Amino acid sequence: MSAPVLTEQALPPAPAAPRRSFLSGYLRQPVVALSVLVLLVMAVLAVFAPLIADEPAGAGADVLQPPSGAHWFGTDDLGQDIFAQVVWGTRTSMVIGLAASLLAIVLGTAIGLAAAYFRPFDAVATVITDVMLALPTLPLMIMLAAVVSPSVTTLTLIIGFFAWPEVARLIRSQGLVISAMPYIDGARVLGATGWRIVTREILPAVVSLMVVSVLLTASRAVISEAGLSFLGLGDPDAWSWGRILLNAQRSGTIAIAWWQTLFPSLAILFLVLAATLAGTRFNDTRDPRRNGG
Amino acid sequence: MNKTVKGRWRLAVALGVAATLGVSGCGLNEETSSSSGSSSDSVLRIGTTTDVSNFNPLQSLSKTDSWILNAMYPHLLRIDENAKKSPELAKEYRYEDDGKTAVFVLRDDFKWTDGKPVVAEDVKFSAESIMKYKLGNVAAKLTWVESVEAPDATTVKFKLSQPYAPFAEGVGFWMSVVPKHVFEPAGDLSKFANDSNWVGAGPFVLDSITKGQRYVMKRNEHYPLAPGGKAAVSQVEYRVYPDVNTMMLALRNGDIDMMGTPVPVSAAKTFENDDKIKLKKVGALGFAHLTYNMKNKYLADQDVRQALSMAVDTKAIISAVLQGDGQQMAGPISPIFSEYDNTELQPYPFDPEGAKAKLSAAGYKDANNDGFFDELKFGVACDQSNANITRVVQLFRESAAKAGVKLENECVERNTFLTRTKNGEYDIDASQWGVFDNPMDQLRSTYLSSNPGGINYNLLESAEMDALINDAAGTTDVEAFKTKIKNIDKVVHEQAYLTPLYVENFQFAYNASKFTGFVPSPSDLLGMVTAYSLAQVTPVK
Repeated sequence: MSAPVLTEQALPPAPAAPRRSFLSGYLRQPVVALSVLVLLVMAVLAVFAPLIADEPAGAGADVLQPPSGAHWFGTDDLGQDIFAQVVWGTRTSMVIGLAASLLAIVLGTAIGLAAAYFRPFDAVATVITDVMLALPTLPLMIMLAAVVSPSVTTLTLIIGFFAWPEVARLIRSQGLVISAMPYIDGARVLGATGWRIVTREILPAVVSLMVVSVLLTASRAVISEAGLSFLGLGDPDAWSWGRILLNAQRSGTIAIAWWQTLFPSLAILFLVLAATLAGTRFNDTRDPRRNGG
Repeated sequence: MNKTVKGRWRLAVALGVAATLGVSGCGLNEETSSSSGSSSDSVLRIGTTTDVSNFNPLQSLSKTDSWILNAMYPHLLRIDENAKKSPELAKEYRYEDDGKTAVFVLRDDFKWTDGKPVVAEDVKFSAESIMKYKLGNVAAKLTWVESVEAPDATTVKFKLSQPYAPFAEGVGFWMSVVPKHVFEPAGDLSKFANDSNWVGAGPFVLDSITKGQRYVMKRNEHYPLAPGGKAAVSQVEYRVYPDVNTMMLALRNGDIDMMGTPVPVSAAKTFENDDKIKLKKVGALGFAHLTYNMKNKYLADQDVRQALSMAVDTKAIISAVLQGDGQQMAGPISPIFSEYDNTELQPYPFDPEGAKAKLSAAGYKDANNDGFFDELKFGVACDQSNANITRVVQLFRESAAKAGVKLENECVERNTFLTRTKNGEYDIDASQWGVFDNPMDQLRSTYLSSNPGGINYNLLESAEMDALINDAAGTTDVEAFKTKIKNIDKVVHEQAYLTPLYVENFQFAYNASKFTGFVPSPSDLLGMVTAYSLAQVTPVK
């Protein structure tokens, strides 16, 4: 690691003034603005889904209709509105994405910080992290999801559990840099406990990295959820983008009803792309080597 | 470090996006260069969904396994276009000795592909092996057999411990006949894989396989049930397409000539504007149903079961899920068995309010006022891969809510579902019976406490039902037998042990510009790919 990173990172404990300019600088980038807008729209769709469209239910007379004024995204083989399904699917995807990524962040940060500060624990934590990273997660998720009865909660737990190692590794590497800094030694000399040093001194210095991780992990979680639902391992009572795709595949309508696969796929694409771009740009913006700090 | 992390994320996202979009696009692949070049038109290529998992015809077979194995090993009887038993290997059958002896008279012109004739000893050996090793579902049908005799090359006699009316039909249709001279040296037939050097007596016999891709079957040069003494098609090739979308595209592209699996109702439009592809419709030998687990305290209550039956809108299900292409049922006996179906029974009317009133009258309360009866909360288990049933469960859940019953959709991945069904871990089972060839066998395997067929999904243990069924089973007088079956039909309907949903029609698609002459039988187990049907197919000149 190069020296400028160290000096830059020594500052965070008192960042009050530069924060605003950082945020506005971040949001002023067109790509970021667009991504954040997409994320906001998705969030609005998710929160206000019941106001935007009725929950897809029952069977309608208009079966397999292409997109039209009455059905913006067309209808499926039961005559249900795909637009409504996509809107309600946004809920599931956002909830699972956020909850799973929060779970992963909490686990990953705790393990990463502990590994960075408590040296004896580091060896164990690193091995565990490496093993987890080396595991073929998709087959394992499939296996687990098949064994437990699939619901939004169990899916969140499964996806979150398999997503923490990447976070732990990121946080640990940053935490190692911080914990070697003079102000940490200072705190130790002043008699601060290990708990206090980790939570009050090191944690604030990795918060920005956590923000990035939340976004990136959430986008991965959304893909995992869609994948599991497509494989029939999703919550059968909750609409999800993966389930719309599964319905199309199962009823054999992929070749004749392109709208049934296109719109949920686009929704996945936009959400994942927006979250990833927002995350990576956030990372770039706070990187002193990029912004000349 | 930042760069590599970022690079990895970008790659991951790119892959994710590619995979997501790929879902809709990855249909067309498959090998376009096919082996059909050599003997072009007389190779009939059929799409199947999965590999053959078991080549031993005496054991229990999956639907796709039996498509291939039934073309190789003859049965005594077959089910014809009208769902009636017709002669196949057996010319005729009769009962002697007051119904205690079933006699089959065999044809003398069936030949194994190694040149030996098919004789009564082969039938005797097949039946005895099944009984000895308790193989497959036929073992339960041979329960009453005390001995099997083969007095001459074309006569087989089954001596029964008691008369059982549908014995000959059940065994005749279900039991595969295997070559004794090939299977006997194999020793323990419960372990015999039979996965190479096949000898069969059907119209086609497996020649070579490429796992995950194709199963090539060569013509048997002596098959008496084919118009010219042998099939007109020289080779049948099963090709594996796990996804139905891909299989339909393959048919449209000419990579295969017919689909073994039925075309989903929702997808029938795919072939609408294709004048080469024709659809053939056949009925079903089973039906879709909701079956209530009697071990559940609340489902053991007749009022609850009747109320649930009133909360299923079967008419709407038939018109939406099957696009109207299905038949409603009242009791457990399918209208296909017209002589046994109790036509006086009426299906429970769809009446959620009435169901609610019935449950209130039975003493169920909604104390917390959430619109649902407090105790009545059930899981509905189903197989996630069955498109129709998952839709049914979705609609059932919505309509039951109107009756104040909270249902949880427990449609899970197929293997999980099968395990749960086997262990009785469900409240309500939503599934489809595949093939019942006669009502007596059906009632025995679905309602006897001893559960001989392993499909008593009610987990019912009722002395009354046992007595009714056993009494009917021992009845040899035809009219009395029919009356007894109709009575059981009525009892089951009144008890609402199950809610029958529909008898669906299946549509099979084939390339009519290349092949013609299929003789389809009802059900998706038989369909267009029975041995008899394949033997009648001719290439279009």
